[in-house]
Amino acid sequence: MGCACGDRPTSLDVGGSAVSVTAGFWLMVLGIVVAPLVGGLLTGLERKVIARFQGRQGPPLVQAFYDLIKLWQKQPRAVNRIQVVYAYAHLFFMIVSLLALLLGQDLLMILFIFSFASVALILGGLSVDSPYSRIGSQREIVQLLVYEPILILMVIAFYKVTGSFMARAAWGLGQPLIYQIPLVLVAFLSVFIIKLRKSPFDLATQLHEPHQELVKGIITEYSGPHLALIELASWYEMVFLLGLVALFWSTSWIGALILAAVFFSLLTLIDNVTPRATYAWMVKFVWKVGLGLAVVNVTCLYLG
Amino acid sequence: MSLVALSRKKSPWLLHFETGGCNGCAIEVWACLTPVYDVERFGMVNTGNPKHADVLIVTGCVNARSGRVLRNLYSQMPEPKVVIAVGVCACTGGIFHDSYNLAPGADRAIPVDIYIPNCAARPEAIIDSVLHAVDLLEEKGRSYDARRS
Amino acid sequence: MIGKTVIPFGPQHAVFPEPFHWRLVMEEERVLDAIPGIGYMHRGIEQLATRMEFAKTLFLAERVCGICSFMHALAYAESLEKLMDVEVPPRAKYLRTIWAELARLQSHLLWIGLAADAFGFESLFMQAWRVREYVMDMVEFTEGGRVMTSSVTIGGVRRDLHEEAIEFLLENLDKLEVGFEEVYQVFTEDPLIKHRTVGVGILSKEDSIRLGAVGPTLRGSGVAQDMRMLGYAAYGELEFQPVVEDSCDSYARMVVRLKECFQSINLIRQAIKKLPDGDVLVKVRGKPEGEVVTRIEQPRGELLYYIKANGTKSLERFRIRTPTLSNLPPLMHMIKGACLADVPVITLSIDTCIACTER
Repeated sequence: MGCACGDRPTSLDVGGSAVSVTAGFWLMVLGIVVAPLVGGLLTGLERKVIARFQGRQGPPLVQAFYDLIKLWQKQPRAVNRIQVVYAYAHLFFMIVSLLALLLGQDLLMILFIFSFASVALILGGLSVDSPYSRIGSQREIVQLLVYEPILILMVIAFYKVTGSFMARAAWGLGQPLIYQIPLVLVAFLSVFIIKLRKSPFDLATQLHEPHQELVKGIITEYSGPHLALIELASWYEMVFLLGLVALFWSTSWIGALILAAVFFSLLTLIDNVTPRATYAWMVKFVWKVGLGLAVVNVTCLYLG
Repeated sequence: MSLVALSRKKSPWLLHFETGGCNGCAIEVWACLTPVYDVERFGMVNTGNPKHADVLIVTGCVNARSGRVLRNLYSQMPEPKVVIAVGVCACTGGIFHDSYNLAPGADRAIPVDIYIPNCAARPEAIIDSVLHAVDLLEEKGRSYDARRS
Repeated sequence: MIGKTVIPFGPQHAVFPEPFHWRLVMEEERVLDAIPGIGYMHRGIEQLATRMEFAKTLFLAERVCGICSFMHALAYAESLEKLMDVEVPPRAKYLRTIWAELARLQSHLLWIGLAADAFGFESLFMQAWRVREYVMDMVEFTEGGRVMTSSVTIGGVRRDLHEEAIEFLLENLDKLEVGFEEVYQVFTEDPLIKHRTVGVGILSKEDSIRLGAVGPTLRGSGVAQDMRMLGYAAYGELEFQPVVEDSCDSYARMVVRLKECFQSINLIRQAIKKLPDGDVLVKVRGKPEGEVVTRIEQPRGELLYYIKANGTKSLERFRIRTPTLSNLPPLMHMIKGACLADVPVITLSIDTCIACTER
């Protein structure tokens, strides 16, 4: 289930009509249950691959699940109550955005829900007094500013090609989106890396590596079960982002899977061969290259 | 073995604190993370954040100033937690034992569960100690669960 | 957030394996002021030395720092040999040189890994430490331990190098050179590393002399000062030139250390080729008396030992000035006005060793 379109029931009318209620229900159950399994396995796979890149044996494939269960069983220790609320909100909005994508809902709305999830994490980081957490949150805000325009441009390009904001409109296309908006996809790669917090854009936090100048950045003050919530949300997030990628090749299962796999491998590769950038450099680079590519692509769509 | 117990055994996250010795053991702890010794195969991650850690590795001898930091770090770690004193300085003070500003051993500051002597402790010994710590962690986890319920 | 924030940087922090405390006064991401807090690693070694037997103090000196323990033992032994008029056999001198260069190699490779980690470049960190294990193997094979080797003693060295060990050394040096070449290329050519280091933490030639920088920090600012040119151990008989870079920034200091690794490999090969036959240890009698100052080149720079002895079994005064102490004023100078993201890079560019500094 690495992609959104893959979960489309066969009875679905590909003309772009709504999913039936029963199918929708099962799709939601599938999304809630299977997505974290896939996300956890992918996280484990990634850590394994990275270890092999570095000439190490690496952790077992299911390591991410061990970590999650262990964290869940640790002593709950929150700095304040509102911090916990934000952790739950982060997870909740992340699940909602994934489900909305699975159900083929309005892309603009999905992106706003997705941003909501990020905002919840930022507020959680700002709600405590730790300077690491605060500076991590500030950086996360900068990242939000950096990638949001690209996502909006992606939706605009999507609308221009399909004539609809609904994600399920992509399922009825004659040819994959990637033929018409390839540059947007390239721009999306930067969003992908920023959101999954990999080098060179792992500025705000990192889950599995010691993060240097900010200790753990935005999640410094979370511990035990609350950290588990954020970890779980990150799995949903990974599946959600891969689903967005799969949207670019929504006409065939295999194409979508291949595209998602390519993005995943690129992510791992780039993470391994780059050091961390400063945030000023990130803003400059992503806006110049990422936003530039997306704008060129959208302009071409409107002109051609 | 229950899934919880297994998970506790398979995912010890480390926090390393050098209280002030000669760095020799600290470097050996770091060497454990690298390709030749690679502790990540046992699921160990060097977190650098006490709030995420399960196992506290103390290297070096404790003086008044670093002892304060050490107690602080220890109290920030959520239960269940295990402390390992790596190297002879952290165990007894070693060659510096009768110096004017040192506590002879990290156990004067915080409760220590596992001691590894030697100067400097070898990476193999450190890995072995963490694997012992994992069993202890599971045991402490069970008693913690019993207390909680 | 508007206004100033104070960020505690350390004492427990993932960048440094050592407890070192900065209080960074920040305005957004810019450092306005940096207040160092030290004292976490003070062990009172200088006072302990005045209570110990002078021969045992060697082991104490060795434990000043775990990274360059060999250098401290060497400095202590050289000082006492000067005090007691001991002529060290030539073979021991060459062995000391070989081991000193191995110590330098492992220290520099360790630093390279930590620097890579400060950039957030985990795979390079792993590669550097993997290459470092070749050096550790050589150290273990020839000296019998990984960190504390106690191979130097007053009057020579404790161990001799056998044929087998020499073969092992040469073989591993080749492997090391191949592995290190890759690390060197990535470090000097990667655009993002250049972006993070070029022009960051400028220390001009005048400033470096005025603030008393030593070692690679000084050589990165274009001053050709290397204590090995004094010719202690067997350095006087080997051919080498100090590595100097002129660009005065973190990149220059990094390149100096990288090039010194090649220099060390070369020096070890030269020393093995010229290795004379004979004894490695002479018997030392009597008790030291008088004052002596020894300067040797540690991986981090000039190490100064001052020893005053009065003919009793323990020393009267034992004073160490370590390179990091000299490099702290330049560091304070560089860190003001830097970005938070550059703080680890600049701090590591002088290769701090707090264990030495606080003793």
